[in-house]
Amino acid sequence: MEILKNPNVDFLGRAKYLAIASVLFVAAGIYAVAGGHVRYGVEFSEGTQLILQFQSTPEIEKIRGAVESISPGSVIQTFGEAEDNRVLIRLALEALEADLDAPARAALATLAEAYGENSVIESSSESVGPIVGAELRRKAILLVSLGLLFQLIYLGVRFKGGIWGAGAAVAALHDVIIAVGILTFFGYEITLNIIAALLTLVGYSVNDTIVIFDRARENLRQRHKLSISELLNNAINQTLSRTVITSGTTGLALMGLYLFGGEVLRGFSFVLVVGTIVGTYSTMFVAVPLVAFWYGRKVRPEARAANAAL
Amino acid sequence: MSPDLQNPFVLWLLLSAALAGLTYAFVRKELQVRAVFYGAILLACGVAIWPPFDKDGTPGKIHLGLDLKGGIHLVLQVVIEDAYNATVGDAVTTSRDQAARQGIQFGVIERTDATSFSVRGTEPARVKDMRGVLEDQFSPGWNIRTEGEDGFSIRMTDIYKRQLGDQTVEEAKRTLERRVNELGVAEPVIARHGSTGDQILVQLPGVEDVEQAKRIIKTTAQLSLRLVEDSAASEETLLEGTGGRLPDNLVIMSSSAQGSGERLYYLLRRESMITGRDLKTARVGVDENNRPQINFILNANATDKFSRETRRNIGRQLAVVLDDRVYSAPTIQSKLGADNRITGQFTTEEADELSKILKAGALPATLRYLQELTVGASLGRDSIRDGVRASVAAMAFIVLFMVGYYRLSGLNAVVALSANLLIVAAFLAYSGATLTLPGIAGIILIVGVGVDTNVLVFERIREELRNGKTVRMAIQNGFDRVLTTIIDTHLTGLIAAAFLFQFGTGPIKGFAITLIIGLMANVFASYLVSKFLFEWVLGKRRVESLSI
Repeated sequence: MEILKNPNVDFLGRAKYLAIASVLFVAAGIYAVAGGHVRYGVEFSEGTQLILQFQSTPEIEKIRGAVESISPGSVIQTFGEAEDNRVLIRLALEALEADLDAPARAALATLAEAYGENSVIESSSESVGPIVGAELRRKAILLVSLGLLFQLIYLGVRFKGGIWGAGAAVAALHDVIIAVGILTFFGYEITLNIIAALLTLVGYSVNDTIVIFDRARENLRQRHKLSISELLNNAINQTLSRTVITSGTTGLALMGLYLFGGEVLRGFSFVLVVGTIVGTYSTMFVAVPLVAFWYGRKVRPEARAANAAL
Repeated sequence: MSPDLQNPFVLWLLLSAALAGLTYAFVRKELQVRAVFYGAILLACGVAIWPPFDKDGTPGKIHLGLDLKGGIHLVLQVVIEDAYNATVGDAVTTSRDQAARQGIQFGVIERTDATSFSVRGTEPARVKDMRGVLEDQFSPGWNIRTEGEDGFSIRMTDIYKRQLGDQTVEEAKRTLERRVNELGVAEPVIARHGSTGDQILVQLPGVEDVEQAKRIIKTTAQLSLRLVEDSAASEETLLEGTGGRLPDNLVIMSSSAQGSGERLYYLLRRESMITGRDLKTARVGVDENNRPQINFILNANATDKFSRETRRNIGRQLAVVLDDRVYSAPTIQSKLGADNRITGQFTTEEADELSKILKAGALPATLRYLQELTVGASLGRDSIRDGVRASVAAMAFIVLFMVGYYRLSGLNAVVALSANLLIVAAFLAYSGATLTLPGIAGIILIVGVGVDTNVLVFERIREELRNGKTVRMAIQNGFDRVLTTIIDTHLTGLIAAAFLFQFGTGPIKGFAITLIIGLMANVFASYLVSKFLFEWVLGKRRVESLSI
């Protein structure tokens, strides 16, 4: 059984139309971040989050009534599967370092009083004070930027050319921005786990780009009659069945994680599912066209010189 | 089973020897070295993880993180200013004592801020002597500056401040370790944390009584026994007795609210007769009315001092103070020895907690909570259930696809994947790293990376076959040509994982560890082992077609 036997699609020819879509999506992502629409998890924004398990099916409205009395504007929603009777409460009360778990204690006390007929049998909580929140925010930004930078330096060295590294970089950045935009659109919070997922997405996107770049480089050594655009387009076609199978299997495995992995991993696997799709797209329609465009601007003898340098 | 087989190393040697025998009998000569080498690695992994999870009371080798097991994760900040304050306080007392001993008259010696104090109004003839006293006492760690004709300003140097801060955090960490030991938590983590140097991370997996654990960790537990000068129902009454101003050598502290809600205020000596440092041990007991009390035993030095002081002060009240609160103030009836007790209005639980805290010792400074994460045990169990379900679904799907699409070669990929996962599990077991929920996600991701490597190789082999290469050539070329790609992708992956490892704590670190090990194991499993399997199965004979 084989799918995609010897495909020959003109990917580069289509890239310019898709560029419009990419620009629109990236713009939406930037709007989400710069416009302050991104929601941050407790660990980045300071505060208290409770996951309470009730004796029997919790009535959200009653819980809201009780919690709102001490902390107006709190977020209250069911958590996980219905039969587990769990509720997630994100308190609007500020967590102070002097008495970090005071909001959580107050909320539990109020619930015990106002909704005593359905008692809390297990409580899990997370409280983050301003110091750690600020420290984590700073570190997360540093981490994603440095992780990206070092991968690019490696690529630049491996391919002996800035444009190859830059192509992969632009594609990865494109993916991260779009992923954050989509996350925001679907109402997910940026948590520590999401940061880990975003960094993994960068790894995945770069990985995909390397496979095609490596193939193009191998072709460059063998067939010198073709233009660099043709060589790159061939590389995409030659690795296309691998791209489809890998993205397909990984994507579906991650879909399994998204569907069955439970509430805690939902946002995490969502980013990775999105990342698989966007990462594959950006390799073919962002990274490769950028490299082709760069060399295409030059007249042939110089392009030849660029080939020889590789 | 003979006792020798209980020893994992012996077991591994025996299994490897058996493998070598089988290899000699069934594997071609040129492949034998690789067969034994790869096999021995995988056997070592198998031995290392057995038994993987808790079963019949034997603890499993794979440690679950607290997001899967339930427990507490705390980030605490040591308030180093406390240590500065205490040090400056001591320095002020020392200066006064030394000046008095040398017969130097002075106006005031008092604290100016958290890290400095000043001397003013020294008698003109002895300014030089005063300087000598100060230099003797504080020379390396403090800067001594002349201020005016008759004064000095003495300030801690930055080096000394750093050193003191570091000592304080270390001491707090050791105290926390002792307290956690008292709690009896298995596999706790207590470590310095963060970039500012004053944070401590405490992780207590599997703790059931979260509130108790938090109380035991946080209590400062400064125990002291001090002589009582006076006691009254309010602070004002006490101050009237001293002429409206509290003398330097005295402090006022209150008792905890009694049953009726009334507090009693005590005027106490600032200097303690006994402190928490003088304790040898403490435990819970009961008094003659069967009420809980805390028994404590003093160490030898303190016993001498305590006997001397109590003999001198028979008939006076001695206050037992814990964290600035008077627990009881019994009258000294006779000379006291090493063995003593604290009575008060405790419940048995309170007495139990207090004795544990006293035994573990006092914290050198106050702790502030910066971050607190508690996970209930059943939430953890449900997370495991979900994680395992997702992993099984993902694995089953991938196995079906690989075998369906690549036939026998797909089976090769499944063997390689299993070897990869075995190595990851063995590393987790052997190193004591914990498996967290993101760690499970990392494992699923590793499965994806493993499949990618196999697909890359298999597609390349197919391409070579289409170009008319022989089966053996196609396999050789397929593996050779993708090697650079595999190295590139794995190295960039490792760079990303290394950053996560550096940055992350707890769950994220678990994710990074599985990723790092998985990436390395994958090169071994999906490249080396897979290639070996192809060569072994195809044998020496001429092969016309390949099941791929």
